[in-house]
Order: sequence, then C-alpha cells, then structure tokens
Amino acid sequence: MSSIDFQTTRRLPLSPMRAIGTGLITLVAALSLLGPLIVPGDPLAQSLIKALAGPETGAPLGYDHLGRSVFHRLADALRLSPVIALAAVATAGAAGLILGTLSAAKGGWIDRIFVMLADALLALPGLLLVLIVLAMVPGTALGFWAGLSLVLWVEFFRLTRAATRETLASPAVQASRLLGFGPVYLFRIHIWPEIAPMMLTAAAFGTATAIMAIAALGFVHVGMRAPTPELGLMMVELLPYWREAPVALLSPVVVTFALLLGLTLLAGSRET
Amino acid sequence: MSLLKAEDITVRDGATTLLSPVSLHLDPGEPLVILGETGSGKSLLAQALMGMLPEGLEAKGRVAIGDRVLNAGTPDRFRGLWGCEIGVLPQEPWLSLDPLMRAETQIAEAHRLVRGLSPRVARARAASDLSELGLAEAGSRFPHQLSGGMAQRVAIAAARAGGARIVIADEPTKGLDAARRDEVADLLLSEMGQAGGLLIITHDLSLARRIGGRLIVLRAGEVVESGTTRDIFAAPGQAYTRELFAADPESWSPRPSAAHPGPAVVSAEDLALVRGQRTLFQGVSLEIAAGQVFGVTGPSGCGKSSLGDAILGLIPPAHGRIRRQGGAHPFAFQKLYQDPVAAFPRKRRIGEALADVATMAGCAAREVDVLMEGLGLDPKLLRRRPGAVSGGELQRLSLLRVLLRKPAFIFADEPTSRLDPITQASVIRLVTGAADTDGIAVMIVSHDQALIRNTADSVLSLSEPGNEDNALRHRRRASSLT
Repeated sequence: MSSIDFQTTRRLPLSPMRAIGTGLITLVAALSLLGPLIVPGDPLAQSLIKALAGPETGAPLGYDHLGRSVFHRLADALRLSPVIALAAVATAGAAGLILGTLSAAKGGWIDRIFVMLADALLALPGLLLVLIVLAMVPGTALGFWAGLSLVLWVEFFRLTRAATRETLASPAVQASRLLGFGPVYLFRIHIWPEIAPMMLTAAAFGTATAIMAIAALGFVHVGMRAPTPELGLMMVELLPYWREAPVALLSPVVVTFALLLGLTLLAGSRET
Repeated sequence: MSLLKAEDITVRDGATTLLSPVSLHLDPGEPLVILGETGSGKSLLAQALMGMLPEGLEAKGRVAIGDRVLNAGTPDRFRGLWGCEIGVLPQEPWLSLDPLMRAETQIAEAHRLVRGLSPRVARARAASDLSELGLAEAGSRFPHQLSGGMAQRVAIAAARAGGARIVIADEPTKGLDAARRDEVADLLLSEMGQAGGLLIITHDLSLARRIGGRLIVLRAGEVVESGTTRDIFAAPGQAYTRELFAADPESWSPRPSAAHPGPAVVSAEDLALVRGQRTLFQGVSLEIAAGQVFGVTGPSGCGKSSLGDAILGLIPPAHGRIRRQGGAHPFAFQKLYQDPVAAFPRKRRIGEALADVATMAGCAAREVDVLMEGLGLDPKLLRRRPGAVSGGELQRLSLLRVLLRKPAFIFADEPTSRLDPITQASVIRLVTGAADTDGIAVMIVSHDQALIRNTADSVLSLSEPGNEDNALRHRRRASSLT
C-alpha cells in the first residue's frame, strides 16, 4: 500500500446539479422573503373590480378571481408550507436519529419494538395518516406538522439504524471501546460523520415530500382552508379561470415545481 | 527458442516512469519469478506483457510471443492471444470463478469458446482435465462448494483450457497458508511440464524458492537483480535483495526469551469456542505472563482470532474460564487489528484521534511525540486521515495508540498479514520490543508458522475445526523453561 498525500482535506466542489438546486431554492426564498418588501401589498385584500386582471405595478403577477394580488398570495404561501415542512423534517430527523441510534446500539426488544412501529407506519399510506392526524389535532398548521413528522421519521429511523449498526460492528468502534471511549465519543466521532451526509439528503427529500403533501391536500380541499394562501389551494381556486388568467394559474405551479426540483437536485446529486 | 521475449518494456503514467526498461525471456520448462514488494511495479510488468494495462498508463517496448512480434504500446493487438497463447491465473481464484456455474461447465466454456471445440468434445475435455487434477468428482460442484485449493485447481484448468502454453500467475498464493502454498507451487510446476512457460509474480519468498527457475527482483520499477533463483538465494548480490531475504520470517533469528517471565497477566482454562453450530476448538488452556510473547497459529478458520477476542472479553466462551490479572486497569487489554485502516475513525485526522486517546488516558500530549520518535514515525503523518497512510505506518500508529493506554496485554491479530516482508519485520520487532521493554504480555496470531516460531516464547497450534481429534500442541520453547 503506497501512501497518498493528497486526500479529502479540501471540500469537494459543488457539483453542477447541486449548484442548480441551490440556485432554484435561493430564487424561491428570495421571492417569498424579499418580494413583499420590494412591492408592498396585502395577500388578503379583495378588490372585485380587478378580478382576474393582468399584471400591473402593484401586483406583478396579476389578480385572482376575488381580485387579490397573486404575487402577494404566492409570497405568503411560500412562507407557510416550507416552514411547516422544515419544522416537520427537523422533528422527524431528530426523532429518527435518536430512535435509530438507540435501536442499533441496544438491539434486542427495544430494536424490535421500534422496527415494528416503523413497519406498521410504513404500511399506512402517508397522506391518509396526515389526514387522520389533521382530523384529530386542532389547528391545520399544527396538524400538518404533527402528521408529517409522524410520516417522515420512519425514513430517518431506518437510515440511521442501518448505518449505525454497520458502524458499531466495525473494528474502529471495537478499538475505541477497548481504549475506553464512551457512547458520546462513539456517536460524535464514528457514527455522526457516517450518517450526516445521508441525513442531509433525506432531509432535502423529506422537505420536498412534505411540501408536496401539503399542496396535494390543499388541492383536494382537505388541507389548508381558504382564505389562507397555500400553493395547492391557489392552484385549485384558479383552475376554472385558466383561460382568462393563465399567468395567475401558472405562477403557483411554476414556483412549486421550481422549489421541489431544487430540493430534489440538492438531495439526489450526491455521488456517493 | 523462447516462448516469450520482451525487450525494454517501460510503463509510464504521463510524465512519471513507473517501470524502467526491463527485458526478459521465458523459456519452455523453466519458470520465471518476478519478486518485489507492493508498489515495485511487478504487476504492471505482467500487465504490460499481456496488453492489459489500466486506462491512462502507457507502455513501450517489444514483446515477441511465439513467432509474433508485438508493440507493447498497442495493447489491442494482444487481445487475440489471450487464452490461446497466454493464460492468466488471477489472484484469489475463488473470487474469479463464476459463482453460478458448476466447475466442469466453467472449464468446458473455455474449451468451447476459446479453442472452438464442439460442446460435446469440450465437455469431455473438461472432465478429463478435472480428473487429471484429481478433481473428477468435483465437476458438478459450484465454487462455494469447493475448498480454496480445489478452486485454485479449477481456475488453473480454466486458464489453460484455451491451449495457452504460457501461464502468468499473479500472486497465486495470496492468503494461503504454508502447506497450501507449496501445494499450489507444485501444481503450477507440474502443469507447466517440459514445454510450457510459467511466469509468476509474487512477494512471497518461499514461493519463489519453491518454484526455482530464474528470478528477477524488482524495486520501485527498477530491476535490482536477476539470475537463476538458486544463485540469488544462495548469494544475493545486492544490498536490497539481502535486506528482502533477511526480512523473511523463515530466516529471522529466534527472539531470545525473557529470562524471568513475570506473573501471569491472563490465563484461560479448558476454553471452548462455538461459532454458530460449529465448535472452533475446545480444551484450550493457556497462560501468558508479563513480558512474554505468546504465538497462536493454525489454518484459516480455526478460531485463532476468536481466541484472542474471547480473551479480550469481546465474545463469550462457550465453555471454560478466562482470568485476567487483578489490579490492572479496565482498559489494559488492547488489540492490534489485521487491517489498521479499518481500526481508526475514518474521517478523523490521526493526530486528533491519538490526542483523544492521550486525553482519555490522562497522559501528556508530549507523550505522543516521544512515542512517534521511538517508533520511527514522521510527525507529518498526524495531519493525515487513515486512508492516506501506508499500512506499515498505520500499524505502527495503532501500536502507538494502544501504548498510550499503558496496556498490560496486547492481542495482535495477524498484524502484518497485509504488509511487505521488510515492513513486516520492522512492525513485529516493535511489537515484541513492547513486550521486552515495557513488560507487556503479547499474544500474536498469525497463519505464518515461521513468523510465530521465531518470535514467540511459547506457541499454540490450533488445527482445522471439525477435526475430531482436535490435537492441540502446546509447545514451550526449551529456552523459556530454563
């Protein structure tokens, strides 16, 4: 074995796919956060005279069927579902990480119980589970957060458990244990560096799944309630007017597409 | 007339020369051995001779095979010769056989596709090949049902089925124990016969000696020495060759035993280990004293590594008792791994990993530097990650790591089986040095009997499991009894 001097001390350059993904997400984030600052307006203010009117200075994307500015509704919607999605992914990631590590480290009946629970949840369609939780939890946003967390943690749990089991069985961990290192060191030095990249990928995918779920339920009128601006709800509200106001209908579609594509590219372009 | 004649073969990777001009010839009935350490360019030479260099490497020189003269720079022309003129015996043949094909079918396939025989004739030839090799009844078995030696013979039969007169064997004895190694050497020699050509690439000195013929010693892409194997072994002309031969465990001088072995650090009584349904061994008793080197040897799969793990408390014994010296701190029992790369945290710099251990063990950071110097290690290594350090250096760093813990007992599990002879000798010297100077009880496990014989104060030989008469020879060297 000859020694190799150059090693992965420097960071790998951003792959083109990842750069595109990051760019798309930045664009969407800029639209939702900076847009209303540049063009002030109210997402809920109605003006029936302007219903389905085209773009103008106060409403760069025109008006919907109730004369509300599509631009401002969109900016508002883009702060709603991504925030719920990120919160759900954070909760699910933390739960999956803790339970997965525990499961792999303890084994035995603890492992069996968690695996059984995860398998049982996997057997239920995700959207159905979210709907059930929505019906039980007061407050739509809270319900979405709880339901989506419940659906998403399984993925994180399974990834963590599999990778941790493998790492814990390695000679490196055995050596560290013999040397007297405790579980915190093992997790920080051996386990976390192995699962961190996987967790980030899963988080990006999970966020995309959650945003899509919120939009899908909105689209079939069982998610967010009107007049809250929400991506799926906006699409279905504007669908009957596609001939009169194509820009108004297309803008939530395009933005949702860009956001999901960005997240998927960010997650899926890892070479390893 | 030579079967194969190569003139001025060079291999370059862009501007770097990996192999300086080498000329050689291969005569019928006289094997040629190319001997060198890892990285000496011996495999590149063989690949250049076959036109099989990896992408990006460029060869130059003339290769004459039979009556054909080829340019090593145009590897495409060699393709037609594969199988018919040159057969290649790959490393670790059990991995190169098709796991889904029966032994006889694999050989028949070569007869049919390379030599162009009809399926029926090919099948008959394959059957007769197998019976010649003493494998008549193994034709219908799958590779996983063959033992390592049988798989090797099947691979040889398949390599020669195309009618190749020249066989090139790259490390044919990798991972084999001494008895199997000699078996393979004899088999290759008998297969070569009077008219065939045999080119062997190896770092194994015993294999080279057994094969005989002519020898080329390579180092860092340059020929150090060439001549008949017998002459070179009798009187090596170059300093490097002498060093290489001296590093062979066979020629080590036995380590002088500790005059007064200390109190027993660990002892085991009537130990038995079971893995799955299989009893690995039973009735093993041993005692390892401070400052003593205890060797364990035996064929692969005999449970010698498991014995060490059981002593460390990593696996529970099925029967028997293990006693550790009272008074030793709980982390005084340490292990050196066969693959040191896998024994370090993959993504942490070595210096950081060692500093963690130093902090943990409560010793001064300076101690790392002192040990680094004592083990002949370059401080630059501390900034690298495990994957970027050579095996020999990393094994020394592993030793450093366990020494930081002030161990009473070190279990070295095949610590040098992946290292070159010269590196192996230095690592073993350092490990046994730890026993001599620090009074650490050391247990070395190796499949290399010569290595164990010349380093250990007492030796435990385990035999193949499943052997009803699991004869354990627990031998103590006379010197340690006085």
